Amino acid sequence: MIKLQTFAEDFAEIRALGRRGVLGGAAALGLAGASGAARAQAPKEVVLCNFGGDAVKAMTEAFVVPYEKKTGGKMVIDGSGPSNGKIKTMVMAKNVTWDVADSGLGGTGELGPAGLLEEIDYSVVDKNKVLSGFAYKYGVCNYMFSTVMAWDTAKVKEKPTLADFFDFKKYPGKRLMRKDSQAMYELALMADGVPKDQLYPLDVPRALKKIAAIKKDLLFWGTGAESQSMLRDGEVVMGWLWNTRATLLQRDTKGKVTFSFDGGLLQPGLWVVPKGNPAGKQVWVAIASMQEPEGQVKLLAALGNGPANPAAAPLVPAELKPLDPASPDNVKVQAKIDGEWYEKNYARTRQEFLDMIAS
Amino acid sequence: MNDRRSAWLLIAPALLLVGVVYFLPLARVLAISVMEPEPGLGNYALLFTSAPIQRVLLTTLRICVFTTSITLVLAYVVAYVLTHARPTAQRLMMLGVLLPLWMSVLVRAFAWVTLLRRQGLVNNALIGMGAIDEPLALMWNEIGVTIGMVHYMLPLGILPLWAAMRDIDGRVLAASRGLGASATQTFVRVFLPLSLPGVIGAGLLVFIFSLGFFITPAILGGGKTIMVAEYINVQIHESLRWGVGTMIASTLVATIFALMFALSRLVDLRTLFGAK
Repeated sequence: MIKLQTFAEDFAEIRALGRRGVLGGAAALGLAGASGAARAQAPKEVVLCNFGGDAVKAMTEAFVVPYEKKTGGKMVIDGSGPSNGKIKTMVMAKNVTWDVADSGLGGTGELGPAGLLEEIDYSVVDKNKVLSGFAYKYGVCNYMFSTVMAWDTAKVKEKPTLADFFDFKKYPGKRLMRKDSQAMYELALMADGVPKDQLYPLDVPRALKKIAAIKKDLLFWGTGAESQSMLRDGEVVMGWLWNTRATLLQRDTKGKVTFSFDGGLLQPGLWVVPKGNPAGKQVWVAIASMQEPEGQVKLLAALGNGPANPAAAPLVPAELKPLDPASPDNVKVQAKIDGEWYEKNYARTRQEFLDMIAS
Repeated sequence: MNDRRSAWLLIAPALLLVGVVYFLPLARVLAISVMEPEPGLGNYALLFTSAPIQRVLLTTLRICVFTTSITLVLAYVVAYVLTHARPTAQRLMMLGVLLPLWMSVLVRAFAWVTLLRRQGLVNNALIGMGAIDEPLALMWNEIGVTIGMVHYMLPLGILPLWAAMRDIDGRVLAASRGLGASATQTFVRVFLPLSLPGVIGAGLLVFIFSLGFFITPAILGGGKTIMVAEYINVQIHESLRWGVGTMIASTLVATIFALMFALSRLVDLRTLFGAK
């Protein structure tokens, strides 16, 4: 839990936001137990790897149950955490045990170009069931999340702009950023006046300069829990963090810490398929099944991850709409990440960001 | 002759185990460092050309030197008192030294967060007493990391020092006093030199441990104090620059072996680790 966490890792840790999954861990265990029984005609078993915790229960309810009902196949969730390093080790050792992994642009950006992922088969997986711009060569969106600005209302009386994040005369006090370049570059550039629809290709030197200028007043979070506690404990007055954690903060502090999707960055969680996955083509059927809006709304209710399929919007209950990063109202006020840019440039530009912090 | 052979046979399983589970993976790490992304010493050249890597190494070195120096001073005082305390007091003190050793490093790091943060116990107490107006930056920087690391390293410094001091013959000190030396003179000219092997041993031990420290800097450093272990972790798990990660890891291992070798020249390792 010390290392730099990905969004997928973090949301697995989050306690359910509202209703808890009705299917408990017992169901997940039962499924895992029954998986050994071979069924000759049934499609190959699909192993989904995520980061464990409540994400196992939530994804069982949202994805496994509908898939098994629809296809008669089996899907098993392995919560052991598909970090880039683990996927690389698996593929290089030719001992791949996962079919589909909960990843993100960090996964497609680093693993895809290295030849460690299968290309998504869009003859089975439906590109139209994904918000436009979030279906890529090596990964397809499974849920949406945002990087948003949260602030401590005791110190920041009015709703701050992104530019206020860099204005220490107006609001003295430490600021919080993620120890990773993704979304930090974008928000810094928007603070510097770049319009949200003209961010890409990112002007990385400009973003680095902007951030480096306030580095002594910055703290960096590695895990979602860390971002939450730094704002809750008053260590910082403003911070850029994931919407799921911002929602928890707002609830736990009864609004003392609050956030807005304005000027946030909409990002995709991505399904990736390790090269040489055991279930072969059956994985595309499984991914296609997980594109159904009903399951995605369940995931939003349980953990706060926004549905990837725009058709889910009408199904989202009214009380969840303001918290849904992918709701049409919230999408309008945010910038959208450009996955293709990340595929080409993430590895290099992230290293530059880390090196800037370390210097 | 026969004895010799059976001795080798007896340690053979242990040697085999170390060979298979330690040296073999180590050799593979070394291999990756010269094979990825392309064969050659390109990764090692980064040690001389990459400013960020040099900065990470320098930060690590600086924190390790500070940690080791502070730990040695504190550990020396504790070990000195420990050696000269009465048996009952000694047992109690020993418990105090060993207790933190059994606590998870994670728990200890978070305990320091509670104490050192802006609205933590220390800052609140100081503000309450009127000693300061603004909270001190005790954490999220190298100060915090050093505090946390010194706390972790203290038992590792105290124990070898105590072992060395315990072996100093009390009659030598008595003789020094008997010959007219003052207490200070006796300490500076007799006790200190005799305890010096312990100081060197404890110092190197603490320094080597500090080099690979990961959790404490990650938690107390506020994300800005990046030490070499964390840098390696990112290279292996996130950026997938395995060649660079293994190169730094290999460099670290080589440094530690070199230090261990130096240590073995200066002091008898068997005494240090209680094998004699």
